[in-house]
Amino acid sequence: MGYKKIKKDQLKTLFNELSKDCSLFVPSGSKGYVGFDPWDGNSADFTEWYGNTTIPPKALFFPPVEAMLRFRKGEAGYEIEELLPNGRPQIVFGVRPCDARALKITDILFSDTYRDPYYLKRRENATIVGLACNEPCDTCFCTSLDISPGESQDVDLLCTDIGDELLMEAVSDKGEDLLSKMSGLSDASGEEESKAKQLGESAKEKITRQIDTSGLLDKMRSSFENREYWEDVSRKCMSCGICTYVCPTCHCFDICDENNKKDGKRVRNWDSCKFPLFTRMPMENPRHEKWRRIRQRYHHKFEYFQMNFEAIACTGCGRCIRECPVNVDVTEIIGGIQAL
Amino acid sequence: MEESNWEPKVIGFLCHWCSYAGADLSGSARLEYPHNIRIIRIPCSGRVDPMFILRALQNGVDGVLVSGCHPGDCHYQSGNFHARRKFAVINRLLKYVGIEPERVQFSWVAASEGPKMAQVIKEFVEGVRKVGPNRLFKDEKKDGE
Amino acid sequence: MENRLKEEAGKLLKEGKVDYIVGYGKGTVNLRTSPLITNKEEDLEGLVINPFIANNLSRYPVELKGRVGIVVKGCDSRSLTSLMQDKKVKREDLIIFGIPCEGVVDLKKLAGQIGAEIDRVTDAEKEGENLTLQVDGSKKTIPFRDVIFDKCYGCEHPTPLEYDVLLGSEVTPNLDIEKSLEKIKALDDMDTPERWDYWKEQFSKCIRCYGCRNVCPACFCERCFVDVNMPQWVATYATWQDNLTFQLIRTLHVAGRCSDCGECERACPVGIPLRSLQRKMVEEVKDLFGHEVGIDKDAPPVFSHYEATDPDEFMK
Repeated sequence: MGYKKIKKDQLKTLFNELSKDCSLFVPSGSKGYVGFDPWDGNSADFTEWYGNTTIPPKALFFPPVEAMLRFRKGEAGYEIEELLPNGRPQIVFGVRPCDARALKITDILFSDTYRDPYYLKRRENATIVGLACNEPCDTCFCTSLDISPGESQDVDLLCTDIGDELLMEAVSDKGEDLLSKMSGLSDASGEEESKAKQLGESAKEKITRQIDTSGLLDKMRSSFENREYWEDVSRKCMSCGICTYVCPTCHCFDICDENNKKDGKRVRNWDSCKFPLFTRMPMENPRHEKWRRIRQRYHHKFEYFQMNFEAIACTGCGRCIRECPVNVDVTEIIGGIQAL
Repeated sequence: MEESNWEPKVIGFLCHWCSYAGADLSGSARLEYPHNIRIIRIPCSGRVDPMFILRALQNGVDGVLVSGCHPGDCHYQSGNFHARRKFAVINRLLKYVGIEPERVQFSWVAASEGPKMAQVIKEFVEGVRKVGPNRLFKDEKKDGE
Repeated sequence: MENRLKEEAGKLLKEGKVDYIVGYGKGTVNLRTSPLITNKEEDLEGLVINPFIANNLSRYPVELKGRVGIVVKGCDSRSLTSLMQDKKVKREDLIIFGIPCEGVVDLKKLAGQIGAEIDRVTDAEKEGENLTLQVDGSKKTIPFRDVIFDKCYGCEHPTPLEYDVLLGSEVTPNLDIEKSLEKIKALDDMDTPERWDYWKEQFSKCIRCYGCRNVCPACFCERCFVDVNMPQWVATYATWQDNLTFQLIRTLHVAGRCSDCGECERACPVGIPLRSLQRKMVEEVKDLFGHEVGIDKDAPPVFSHYEATDPDEFMK
């Protein structure tokens, strides 16, 4: 279909139109932090200030809290009502390439031997509109993980901010479909196309933070028994769950039944391996000491996930570095392992 | 329940040695107090955890009354003095976050003060009636959706 | 100052007087500093003292085994003293390096002031009353007092009260209580239901990462009441009701222990103005019992003693 473009001042009209027959989510800072919020018809100026959200788009597909089913004790035993997502189409506008990759990574997990209907239903119904990064943050290191700030194959439609206009390119059929439904677009020129490419290249150069993934799997394995190293790097950690909750690929959850006398519901919520009580519910958390919990997080991301699914569960979005109150830095930790 | 025939439902955490006995006394003296109160007996006002108060409100009661022995009369000597410090800050915090002051009340009632107990309950229930049903923790939205 | 700290800290480690040094090191993010906790002399080269040392380090000695040399600002020192009152740390296990503090830069405020992400600032230096910055390669000067944390305007003890070594000379308080309590005043001026709605909205954002609790030096329970499940006081999952209940109870637990270090609010990833709760209770505890946090290490914790003359007029 080729490249299309839209004037930024037309975005509002576009969003109003799109939100008529689907749920549209756009980056918003109205709550005091940046997250994907339902389009409220107000301001579409996020392209001017938006680096990335604090809460990643995973929250739209794997919400912090979700009721899975309701149960009721009836005459003939328990009646169970499954509470699947309603199936309304969703468009998520402005997903950064790192987060788009993160969704592909969590897709692998949630569609493995057990196919998670809650997550997958939401994913099926969603169209991801990416937004290339022209100004990566200081905390970004996506290029170390084969992600380019300026391009993405993980979205359905990719936008690039080329000044007064957004350039749009369909990446998947879903994106093609969405693009054909949008009004107010015009054809982009070859010049504009190359400008977008150029912006992507210069964004790449702006990223200075990095991790070295070559031979990392072996290094991770041999670091496992290095207690001294893990004790050193974990000393300042406060054992809160911020890094795991803002991580676009962290996916651990807990399930609990909330019941009254005769009815109740089963709820799934985010959980974090940083908490001493993690996995306490079956029996015991085997990771009593803090350093074991920290080790678990990095080993899960860089070793176990890679062994199981041939992908590193980190996309270099830098949220954990940015949001950590004590500045625990994944690039430092991985750098340290490489240097062991 | 329909708004028109709404009756306040309040919980009373009464200390075993004074206030609970005070409530007993008002009963045996055939004094009337509103039936809107459900009394939970606790060993001492010092036993009251702020969680009791918040959980009660969260579970939908319209008011919480906490009552114990007068200062100096505590069966455990200093339980109510410690409790008083806690109550003072709980009281200030709850007001600050926007819980109507009429919903939570702290009182001293002795075992011999049957009439006072009846009076305290009556006034408290009337106060709660004035501020209306507790909708503080109500939510139209279903969790997680 | 920095050099003296490195020197003295090095001596302590060398002579075996402490097992760990807990101070500030350069962070890996622009302008930020990070806790530096080490038992190795060579790491001490990384110690820094600058107007960006936001963390309250007083929580670490509770967790570290052994004797600790620790760097504290005014507010942190009062947290530490409060921990001594609660017998969570022993004075004799600590060598305290006090930093007289003129305020710490609030990076969110700074970003607002310069109208750009902090990422664009490559260098910042305090020069007298100003903060000189390099933003996108060009120099920018802003008044230092415009970008410090709200708590700093209300700081009555900028110089640590308890220390072994004071790094620098005492700082006299530069108070602007009104500014420090601006948000609280705004809440006080609302009517009751409005205030409830305000907090309801704020706690709808909470994701229960427990950042606030885990960075708080006054939150030292070995098992927090939210982690207790028999009885389950609050649900493990985040609903605004339980989030609010959790925070209210936490607020009560740290009342009389909170030194208004503001770490809870700084840590919160979703921007809940937690200090508006905690600082309010600092005021209330002072008003009710005349208790100021972390002044006297030998005084009993405020809720483990009482006076017969404590306020009683709220009792009916």
